[in-house]
Amino acid sequence: MDEIELKDLLASYNHKLEEAKVLNMQSWVLNYQCFETLQQQKAKLKLKRLANFKIVAVVLGIIWVAFLGLLVFYSLEISKIFFAISAGAIMLFTLAAIIVYIYHIVLINKITNSENVLKAQETIARLKISTLNITRILFLQTPFYCTFWWSTKLITDAPAAFWLISFPIALAFTFASLWLWKNISMKNAHKKWFRILFNSPEWNSLIEANNFLEEINNFKQEGY
Amino acid sequence: MSNKKPPEELFQKIKDNEGIIFKICNTYCQNKTDREDLAQEIVYHLLKSYHSFNDAYKFTTWMYRVALNVAISFYRKNKADNVITLPEDEHDLADNHQTVELEDNIIILQQFISELKELDKALMILYLESKSYKEIADIIGITETNVATKISRIKDLLKQKFSNLNH
Repeated sequence: MDEIELKDLLASYNHKLEEAKVLNMQSWVLNYQCFETLQQQKAKLKLKRLANFKIVAVVLGIIWVAFLGLLVFYSLEISKIFFAISAGAIMLFTLAAIIVYIYHIVLINKITNSENVLKAQETIARLKISTLNITRILFLQTPFYCTFWWSTKLITDAPAAFWLISFPIALAFTFASLWLWKNISMKNAHKKWFRILFNSPEWNSLIEANNFLEEINNFKQEGY
Repeated sequence: MSNKKPPEELFQKIKDNEGIIFKICNTYCQNKTDREDLAQEIVYHLLKSYHSFNDAYKFTTWMYRVALNVAISFYRKNKADNVITLPEDEHDLADNHQTVELEDNIIILQQFISELKELDKALMILYLESKSYKEIADIIGITETNVATKISRIKDLLKQKFSNLNH
């Protein structure tokens, strides 16, 4: 096929694409009077989307933080110091995650489709990937779930059980959470431990977003 | 989201350029229901985003940006459902009055374009529209040189595909 034949074929194809009335664009789609109906329909869809985990996570997170705040407030005494510190730390990590989630929601609402294609798609893909940061933060709180029940009485009354069981478990969780905080990143997404840990549709879509981001970066490069 | 109604002339402008919507829907969706859903989605986003229209750009440039962004996001969301082979009962683009060869070539071309990555598809739609490299670069967000390189590469691939079929 030479250049002219190709040009003619592309022109015919273009003509067909435009002429093909395979698309049953109902009249209401372009009807000024029906914009409100369309808007309401979309609002319902949006409400449905409100059920997605980001919004739900923020609401549940706020309730959880408030509950922990109360517990900490009523545990501010020396005999409950481990509980107060643990609950306080969990509260702070949850709060950090909530702030990141809220920031995401604000960003999502700011995304505009009238940006150039690469810029808009890149922002969407980056937002998806940034979910990783929240997970990393949340992993950091796991050691505190091993320490909230500690007390000075436990250490003095059962030192063997404490130093041989409780303490090493908490230490192991600390190392594990720090390791995960350091290693959870898209550059490790292909590794087996990562796939076992994050094998869910949400994470698959995240990996897909990362692949798309790579595709966008390659697409930007001249001569690629 | 703005709750204000978009100006009435916007509906007319979209209607005048509805070919853009047809073209994008036909390129990104393989089945009729998806095309209709995508068309609705595009129109909704055009109406919703009208406040972002900047007079410095041509209306069609803005329309392409919004429509392509919506189509790519829609395509990615429904990727699993998108079958890249042309359905038997939907040779929509074939015209009975055309010669069988041209008809076949158009189907092969449609198949080829449906197999392109989503960003290349966008590039191809704009190229078919005879947009200038500058305008394509503006809509997609890459340099003009890059546009030229990529289009030439896609065309070479296409030529090669037809050559392979003829041998």
